[in-house]
Amino acid sequence: MAEDLSVRVAEVLELAKKAGAREAWANVGRSREVETLLRDGEVEKVQESTSRALNLELWVENRYASHRTTDLRPDALSQFVADAVALTRALQPDPDRRIPDPTLFAGRSSANLDLEDSSVPKIDAALRESWCRTMDQAARGHERVISASSSASHSEHEGAAASTNGFSGTWRSTVVSLSADVTVRDEGDRRPEGSMWAVARHIGDLPDVGGIGGRALEEGLARIGSQKLPSLKGILVVDPRAAGRLISALLGGADGRSVQQSRSVWAKKAGQKLFPEWLSLTDDPLLPRGLGSRLFDGEGIAARPMPLIAAGSLQNLYVDNTYGRKLGRPPTTGGPSNRVLGLGKRPLAAILPDVGDGIYLTSWLGGNSDATTGDFSFGIRGHRLVGGRIGEPVGEMNITGNLIDLFGRLVEAGNDPWRSSSTLVPTLVFDGVRVGGA
Amino acid sequence: MLSRRTFLKEASVGSAMLAMPAFLAACAPKHMRQDPLPNDPFGAWFGVDPLSTRQVLEELSQHGADWAELYFQHSRATSLSLEDGIVSQASSRIDQGVGLRVVVGDHTGYAFTEDLSLEAMRAAAKSAAAIAKAGPARLPVDFSHVPQLEFYAVALPWSEVGIDQRLPLLERAAALTRALDPAITKVSVNWSDEEQRVLIATLEGGYHLDRRPMSRIWVNVTAVKNGVTRSNSANLAGRRGLEWYTEEKLQLLAKQAVDRTMVLFDARRPPAGELPVVLAAGASGILLHEAVGHGMEADFNRKNISIYADMIARKVAPDFVTIVDDGTVPNERGALNVDDEGAVGQRTVLVENGYLASYLHDRISAKHYQMKSTGSGRRESFRFPPMPRMRCTSMESGPHSREEILSSVKRGIIAETFTNGQVQIGAGDFTFYIKNGWMIEEGKITYPISDCNIIGNGPDALRRLSMAANDSVLDTGGWTCGKDGQSVPVSQGLPTVLVSSLTVGGQDG
Repeated sequence: MAEDLSVRVAEVLELAKKAGAREAWANVGRSREVETLLRDGEVEKVQESTSRALNLELWVENRYASHRTTDLRPDALSQFVADAVALTRALQPDPDRRIPDPTLFAGRSSANLDLEDSSVPKIDAALRESWCRTMDQAARGHERVISASSSASHSEHEGAAASTNGFSGTWRSTVVSLSADVTVRDEGDRRPEGSMWAVARHIGDLPDVGGIGGRALEEGLARIGSQKLPSLKGILVVDPRAAGRLISALLGGADGRSVQQSRSVWAKKAGQKLFPEWLSLTDDPLLPRGLGSRLFDGEGIAARPMPLIAAGSLQNLYVDNTYGRKLGRPPTTGGPSNRVLGLGKRPLAAILPDVGDGIYLTSWLGGNSDATTGDFSFGIRGHRLVGGRIGEPVGEMNITGNLIDLFGRLVEAGNDPWRSSSTLVPTLVFDGVRVGGA
Repeated sequence: MLSRRTFLKEASVGSAMLAMPAFLAACAPKHMRQDPLPNDPFGAWFGVDPLSTRQVLEELSQHGADWAELYFQHSRATSLSLEDGIVSQASSRIDQGVGLRVVVGDHTGYAFTEDLSLEAMRAAAKSAAAIAKAGPARLPVDFSHVPQLEFYAVALPWSEVGIDQRLPLLERAAALTRALDPAITKVSVNWSDEEQRVLIATLEGGYHLDRRPMSRIWVNVTAVKNGVTRSNSANLAGRRGLEWYTEEKLQLLAKQAVDRTMVLFDARRPPAGELPVVLAAGASGILLHEAVGHGMEADFNRKNISIYADMIARKVAPDFVTIVDDGTVPNERGALNVDDEGAVGQRTVLVENGYLASYLHDRISAKHYQMKSTGSGRRESFRFPPMPRMRCTSMESGPHSREEILSSVKRGIIAETFTNGQVQIGAGDFTFYIKNGWMIEEGKITYPISDCNIIGNGPDALRRLSMAANDSVLDTGGWTCGKDGQSVPVSQGLPTVLVSSLTVGGQDG
């Protein structure tokens, strides 16, 4: 129960003060996680674990450090706190590292985020195995299948946090996830893979279980005969499951630390019109049942929706308390909750007929980007689009450019966001993208 | 989710340390020196001994077991960060627990607990045991302490090094870096170190204690020229103690970080398409990791899902290609005195004179193939069951010279530094991301390139390894390999080689 965690947190704060910390922040979290993995009709792995950990942040004589332990025996804990204070004291002073002002804790939403499904802890081994068997049956329904595996897992989390300057909060949540992977036989030695997964807070939000196995199989079969095309320039349609990575890359330097350390493409972009007027991207911590939802962030700042991109330009950065002070601007929140892209009017299937020729990108193949410049180069896999129809599979191709320029080429967003992620992004359509191949 | 996804990246959290021997000798730590860890903290603090271990193993194997083990771990880690001239951010972490595994055939029951009391361990054992459905397995009569190899001895364990001994390393690295170019506007240094103790007790009666140090120092540089901002980084890492981070090493690190940053002001994107790719000696071992190493991990082959599943003894590369994966290279991130299921540290030849020689085995796959484990069973921590993983993967020197290789290329690139890579195990398609490199035209290096993704296919790339130089060397930076949600430290190396064609993510062309 979270009550006993709150008591533990209060004890640790006392210990910290006694050991000489002027201010402290502590949280204790506990979780239980269970997984069943089935491969080719047989249970291959069952795993069950409970874990807990204490995190302690200390401010001692204008010095700051964070500490973590999983050894919660009372004797060990006192020694841990004493050592933590001594370590903190050995650092160099930094007046910008201060415990967050309590005014930032105020205004916490009373919304019910609905992050806990009380039936998740009751899922038993038989139900996990039956979910896996349902996925497995659908996933192995083709003579080209070499091997298939299915996994069902769920977890329960609870925790409590408090600070010496008045913060206190608790949380409880559940997660349930299903996944299927299929390997199929191609010509020659190649063994293409397909995969599908679903993650939700509530069991009722999971999609059809057999459909997950079926989709993994379809994806594996669709990769058969994948070819590298000659380089081309055209429309790039990005599947919702793949689109989240572009948002993560775009926001790579969109935080106070990166800007203050001169490692952000966003450092000098405030107010510049860079993107289509209609594009909106919001950090929304209060999304009911969201995988990234929360009432307060890691520093206790009360959570509220924050526009990231609107009216064609960057609106806000993720700014925590310390880097806010260093940059001379008010803190917003230290890191992402749910990143939500504003939806368009139609799904992928309705968009495709209008896009003409190009590439339909379904998954990534490595690559990276530079947060300082926005330059990127990503490997891609997907299908050729001819007159809006999904054609043969393509792979071993790259898109290379600059993320700011790429999002300036965004022409449409779908209404079909991928929900098994805290980055909720629909189909994205970019115009005039060069795709490098043979 | 994405259970077969694998990747390799430069460790994202800085770690590393520093320490000049002169400094060590001159100043005893004034404060923040913790009491030395007992050699066997599990016995000393929790009363874990052969008797209690036997009781837990009995619970764990009550419904049968071909194999079972307890993996105890106690880790103490410290990280420090210097920004804007001061070390004002630190974190410390104590992580301990025990992982309990029982294996029947290809089936695994697994549980872990952070509570090392006998009651908690027995409860976890009971839950893991449920995978098996037979009668009790036979328990060892006695446990035998297995003498330990020593591939990573350090002068002083990290748990006994004071913060005041670490701080000067960060400050020195920052000062050396900043002094190298007036265009530098920001320097940050990240440091991390870890002292880990493990105890592995097996159903066969093995009782292995290992102490595993790890450290890393990471320098980030940002420079501005004519209003243009560029940044890059370099790092040094290994199972090293403070004594390894000498003034000379810090100077080299600073120079690497600055050179790699300043060259970006002139860098362009290479042309897109299929080009010859020269891989510079050292960090380019990423090629082996992705193109060969993962596909040779025997779990993928046992499940028949690797592109290499039917290729043992086949000729896969030219005669001069010999690739090894080695846990015995002293002080490398991938070094292992004993693997995470109690198999002794060893060296495995993956490709010998062009022929595919051996997979990387853990105990499950070794039993499946009726072979001995290659000592490749590794795990991220006590929270995970082990699986076959790479250690230090490298290719032996070849018959050519770097000059011969460069001059043979009419139009191509040479790759020098990398940030990450990955591979599709079944299709064999792999990638790596070049941070720094050069264009080669008519056998000559012409202009710097950066930020391009490279794609190839494992077996194709091996066949196209057309030249290898006599300069094989291991990378000094630290790499972390991810597989099935578990990250483990690895090392890699390569001589200068030429792959006659790979797909280069560039612009135009």
